[in-house]
Amino acid sequence: MNIIETHNLTKSFGSVIAVNDLTISVRRGEFVAFMGASGSGKTTLLNILACLDTFTSGEVFIDGHNLAALDEEGRRVLRANKIGLVFQQFHLIPYLTALENVMLAQHFHSVTDEPAARQILGDVGLAHRLHHRPGALSGGEQQRVCIARALVNEPPILFADEPTGNLDEENECNILALLQDLHRRGRTVVLVTHNPDLAARADRIIRLHHGKVFEP
Amino acid sequence: MLTQMIFHSWHRNPRRTALTVTTVFLATALISALLAITVSVGDQMARELKSYGANILLEPAVDGDYLDTQDLPRIKEIFWRHNILGFAPLLAGTVTADDGGEVAILGTFFDQPLPVEGEDDFHTGQKIIAPYWRIDGAWPDDARPEALAGARLAERRGWRVGQTLTLAGARPVVLSGILESGGEEDELLVVPLALAQELLGRPGRADAARVSALTVPENRLSAKARANRDALTAEEYDVWYCTAYVSSIAHQLEEALPGARARPVWQVAASEGVIVGKVQLLLLVATLAALLAAAMGVAALTAGAILERAAEIALLKALAARPRHIALLFHAEVTVSALLGGALGCGAGWLLARHLGQTLFGAPLAMAWITVPGVLALAVAIALLGAWLPVRQIAALAPAEVLHGRR
Repeated sequence: MNIIETHNLTKSFGSVIAVNDLTISVRRGEFVAFMGASGSGKTTLLNILACLDTFTSGEVFIDGHNLAALDEEGRRVLRANKIGLVFQQFHLIPYLTALENVMLAQHFHSVTDEPAARQILGDVGLAHRLHHRPGALSGGEQQRVCIARALVNEPPILFADEPTGNLDEENECNILALLQDLHRRGRTVVLVTHNPDLAARADRIIRLHHGKVFEP
Repeated sequence: MLTQMIFHSWHRNPRRTALTVTTVFLATALISALLAITVSVGDQMARELKSYGANILLEPAVDGDYLDTQDLPRIKEIFWRHNILGFAPLLAGTVTADDGGEVAILGTFFDQPLPVEGEDDFHTGQKIIAPYWRIDGAWPDDARPEALAGARLAERRGWRVGQTLTLAGARPVVLSGILESGGEEDELLVVPLALAQELLGRPGRADAARVSALTVPENRLSAKARANRDALTAEEYDVWYCTAYVSSIAHQLEEALPGARARPVWQVAASEGVIVGKVQLLLLVATLAALLAAAMGVAALTAGAILERAAEIALLKALAARPRHIALLFHAEVTVSALLGGALGCGAGWLLARHLGQTLFGAPLAMAWITVPGVLALAVAIALLGAWLPVRQIAALAPAEVLHGRR
């Protein structure tokens, strides 16, 4: 069963067409990589699928929900319940600790649950860094906090936008291993990257070029 | 969680926080000082304007009759007795002078002690109600045969300070001073009331009395009462009676002295109302200007904060925060700053009011504590008003654009 589907999806910024009549699907529990060069439309596609952006035409279904039929509040609720986001720049709140950053996602989802937040940080190997602020964490640790924050509300889909773009090789391996582990445990993972070596770790690669699926 | 975020973000940017606090502080300091002045300006201005003379004239209810001077202490027994600054009875007539010619005299109180309940050492007379009288020499003693000669009269007759006059053929009176009032008194010989009563053969009598009362500016209600007191409703009457309008004080004087008719001197009363009203309007405009300037300052600072924290706002939206949750963060931050700035502003405003009171009225203005919660509420209102427009930008901020660096 498809958890993500797009039909003739188009997103344009004025005269620039970022996503061009795109029809794709992702099965539940699949690990998919969107790959393409800069400007290929992969981040725009991710923003639309993650309910962070609207689209110009076409249809998008996320876990059976038609995004075209949802208003901003509907997209917010869908994002809260179905989607976890991992960013290249981590985007952690600098004045909150690792634990508080994770609990922030709980707060805006429903209610805070400190034991659950501690558990998820323990799962990503940060049980000893709970009370450290982002400035006191390494890049790899910050990205693991970001992943913990994305997972704490147990969304079925995890979108990771260049998650290793700011990490060294060792941390890159650790983060990829973590994503693969999540996938093995049944989570749908969508990885956005321009790096073929990373994309190769996914079950399937969807290559994008000028906003269209590109089959080499 | 929200409290932690507010606490952290509030002191994370001390420069911006200090600027917000300072903006609100300056505005509330000015506003609380102006409020203190607005509250006190009526009384203070009324006191200042008292130097232009009495504002109520008491006359016999029947023409040709006299006031009984024994009744006059009742003036200080009315509901608004504490607003009665002083009064002076008047008794006019003519007597013969040394040269055999007639001289017009005016009997009055100069600085007469009067036993009044609740006010120790109460004195009343022209010295209190006519401070604009210029005396060359000394004020007469009410208990002694002394007099003031009007400037024009003294010049015409060649009288000098210290000279002893013989009135009514046998009564020696010492000229303690020459009076220049700019009015009819400049043609009169002004003597203590008791002496005038003796010389004119009218013991215990007075033609009239001038009363100086602290009043509030006239308004629509007092104007209605002035036009027709019977037209007031019972509720309006109670309000009018219990407000220190010149007309209600005059009415109470008539109640206290049944044989008397009290007439407000409208030129003085109206001037008070007009001047106080204009001063209060000016203060209101200055207060509004301060409010607007502070709100604009807070708006600029909040807009800057939103721009600076766009990534954080975008992240919160990506984490499914509602715009109103994020707006609440900013509103809570400015509210905390406003309360701090407002509290400091109240203190500074009080000091400023003391200084201004001393400078303008010669006495420090009392702190009206009742204004403190009002000023604090105003401080919060300034901050929220200022933050309102920029915070609305939060709803329009697209997380996708900010988080991926397109903005």
